[in-house]
Amino acid sequence: MDVIIGLTTKDAVIVATSMAAVRGVSILKSDDDKTRVVAPHTLVAYTGEPGDTVQFAEYVQANIQLHGMRNETELSPPAITSFVRSELAKSLRSRKPYQVNILIAGYDTATEKPYLYWVDYLASSAQLPYAAHGYAAYYTLSLLDRWHKKDISLDEGMKIMEMCVTELRTRLPIDFKGVQIKIIDRDGVRTV
Amino acid sequence: MGSRRYDSRTTIFSPEGRLYQVEYALEAISHAGTSIGVLAKDGIVLAAERKVTSKLLEQDTSAEKLYTINNNMICAVAGLTSDASILVNYARVYAQDYLRLYNEDIPCEQLVRRLCDLKQGYTQHGGLRPFGVSFIYAGYDSRYEFQLYQSNPSGNYGGWKATSVGANNATAQTLLKQDYKEDCTLAEACELAIKVLSKTMDAPTLTSEKVEFATVGKDKEGNVYCHLLKPSEIDALLKKFGLAKKSEDDEEQQGTA
Amino acid sequence: MSDPSSINGGSVVAMVGKDCVAIGCDMRLGMQALTVSNDFPKIFQFNNAFLGLTGLATDVITLSEVFRYKVNLYNLREERKIEPETFANLVSSSLYEKRFGPYFVGPVVAGINSKSGKPYICGFDLIGCINFAKDFVVGGTSSEQLFGMCESLWEPDLEPDDLFETISQSLLNAQDRDALSGWGAIVYIITKDKVVKRLLKTRQD
Repeated sequence: MDVIIGLTTKDAVIVATSMAAVRGVSILKSDDDKTRVVAPHTLVAYTGEPGDTVQFAEYVQANIQLHGMRNETELSPPAITSFVRSELAKSLRSRKPYQVNILIAGYDTATEKPYLYWVDYLASSAQLPYAAHGYAAYYTLSLLDRWHKKDISLDEGMKIMEMCVTELRTRLPIDFKGVQIKIIDRDGVRTV
Repeated sequence: MGSRRYDSRTTIFSPEGRLYQVEYALEAISHAGTSIGVLAKDGIVLAAERKVTSKLLEQDTSAEKLYTINNNMICAVAGLTSDASILVNYARVYAQDYLRLYNEDIPCEQLVRRLCDLKQGYTQHGGLRPFGVSFIYAGYDSRYEFQLYQSNPSGNYGGWKATSVGANNATAQTLLKQDYKEDCTLAEACELAIKVLSKTMDAPTLTSEKVEFATVGKDKEGNVYCHLLKPSEIDALLKKFGLAKKSEDDEEQQGTA
Repeated sequence: MSDPSSINGGSVVAMVGKDCVAIGCDMRLGMQALTVSNDFPKIFQFNNAFLGLTGLATDVITLSEVFRYKVNLYNLREERKIEPETFANLVSSSLYEKRFGPYFVGPVVAGINSKSGKPYICGFDLIGCINFAKDFVVGGTSSEQLFGMCESLWEPDLEPDDLFETISQSLLNAQDRDALSGWGAIVYIITKDKVVKRLLKTRQD
């Protein structure tokens, strides 16, 4: 029942992830970070099988950082997504596939555009204006359909995100300990 | 020759600290037809001399010294053509591997470096001989725009504004140094390349049978193109710069008439 | 519902006309009943051949990348464009290579041979068995509906404009009866020297 939501604004991406780390009926942690910064302007947010998630995210993070050091270039968010997708696709037909659902939020400094990608554990991927995984998707996508518009400001984006979180607090049966919000724009990744 | 003792293996340094097999490979290249590359502000031109060995030889329609690697990169080779085709194929496959993985064209320098790493391997690991080819690469990527590189059998590479490989490359290099203008246009670069090539070749006149020509540039919509010129286009270009065999053409026309 | 070929949904149809062919697809990408995207085209162009790919979305993406890879190398090595017939055989052998761990897709190929000018369409099963057709081929979650629509609307020797109308009506009305397809459509009308791509607005539910 992890919550991960992402939405794009005119020149940034906002990502919200729930802070509860749950195992069975217990909440183990209330300040869990379900994201990894894989490149200066790209963030990966994940949910799924505990263990697989962090393993996979850190695996792609290490590979992308290695690529960055070898070639002295930063991969663009679309290139990173393509790489992550192909790693997941490879894993899907292996003995024990990673069961990880991912949102990739990035800002391409070359084209000056924000990017949000939805990738599931089957390695299906799509570039979207707003996206969510798991049960959160059922509650928030309708709100996002109603309120999200192309080229909205960061403030408007934050307002919509707050509406989504409020909805989840009222509808989800267990406490997800609130969300941490990260913003990805031309200056990189920051927490608010 | 004092070098004999160190010849047989590629991976052994001579007492003077040289790798003879690599130097022999470079020697082989210095007998090959000349290839020239010139970088302009709006594109790159590659020109190469094709050695016509016999009149009886079937003139292959496909290029012998100029190859397309992918959408935005071409190369000229000098040296053993058979070795070159192995490396060109490797480059093409690697470029497609990169495209499949990242959904973006491979940056030029990364491809050059990958090919040079392969070449370097043959100067260190035992039992095999190095690739007897030098390359000139011309390409475009969004980060560094138009780029010109050269590599040799040792696995060294560098970026250039104008460069040459093959026979008479020292002469060509001097001529290029003399006449190269910073911020020249693609048309000017074409003229320079063709003039330098004509001076380094034995024959006083050029024909499309003896030279190959290619350009990388941007079209009106701003899309990058790589163009290997057809024989008719090369002849037109030669005529434009007054290097075509005028007299013989006229004679032929008279003869047929 | 865990059948791989109906998790993400989607449909493709191709038809032959007089010296022309048409191929169309829907735009939906879903996860079970939830629609994730309405901008997920399933037709890819490879020189003279058009490939429609339905089924498991991950395999649709993977295969489109694999065929781009193979066709690019074909172009460099052969120094010519790939023809629809050749491409169809490439699809077939590439799919059969994975006979015992297949890609869950239902491909459709359409195009016009640039030399002979002959229209060509065919379909495949997930392991690459080619279904040659003279009239129309269908694929995806609304294939039954598409069969019905094509069977009643298609007639021989349709001109490009009439073929466009026929394929569009077939696709639109078929996907309206399928919960897993729809959310927009794309139709290509291919003649020997022209390709027209049309985006169809449809109901967004």
